[in-house]
Amino acid sequence: MQLDVFQTLADPTRRRIVEALRSGEQQVGDVVMTAGVHQSGVSRHLRILHEAGFVSMRPDGQRRLYALRPEPFQELEAWLTQYRRLWDVRLDRFGAALEKKQKQAGPGKKRSR
Amino acid sequence: MSKENKARAKPIVLERSYKARIEDVWDLWATKEGFESWWGPQGFRVEVQVLDARLGGTLQYDMIADSPEMLAAMKQMGMPASHATHSRFSALKLHERLVLTNVIDFLPGVEPYESNITVEFLAHGDTVRMTVTLDPMHTDQFSQMQKEGFTSQLTKLDERFV
Repeated sequence: MQLDVFQTLADPTRRRIVEALRSGEQQVGDVVMTAGVHQSGVSRHLRILHEAGFVSMRPDGQRRLYALRPEPFQELEAWLTQYRRLWDVRLDRFGAALEKKQKQAGPGKKRSR
Repeated sequence: MSKENKARAKPIVLERSYKARIEDVWDLWATKEGFESWWGPQGFRVEVQVLDARLGGTLQYDMIADSPEMLAAMKQMGMPASHATHSRFSALKLHERLVLTNVIDFLPGVEPYESNITVEFLAHGDTVRMTVTLDPMHTDQFSQMQKEGFTSQLTKLDERFV
């Protein structure tokens, strides 16, 4: 199952888990404590987060340690930047339209300083 | 208000200053000709059906893809080349402030939701400062996350990875 960044984070439990992992690498038991989610739920959601590339896992003896990976957050950040850029371009058009409007009004109508 | 709460409430804000009369800047938002002259976005033109710049007044327009690239992109996304957009002026104070509430009901597979654009105008000498504040949009999921303050924490997450 391949979920996109938005779908992955649409689930509130997964967001809680991601927030719990913000303090650094942890094992499942710690995430259960911090996120306040039942162990079976945490395991399932960690698997989904892992598959979606949000979370890395490394074995350490008997333990499995989970940590956040930067890539999906960079993707989200890039999306936000794109959204902002769309509006920058839009406001450039606004400025150009305003200038055109002022020119059409002619110098006679221009307000004196 | 705590720092955390401030971060949670933080939307996208854009500011521009124009050497212009306040009436001219205002009219680009509040008249049919004005709105059509710039709204776009890139690759689209706009045909305004109704623009009633009063408190609670309706703004209805068609967004029409008008470049070959955009037409192809819309087709690929399974969206029509033209769609009707419904908005209203949910706040309006002449030459000072307006809020456009847009009904986002044209995204395939996404439940309709509302998104606000707040525009504030401040005339100072021969300059008008215009501030545009955006509600997030794109997907309902994304909006929900934004409401819950999740995306505003991204920056903090990113800092960890720098």
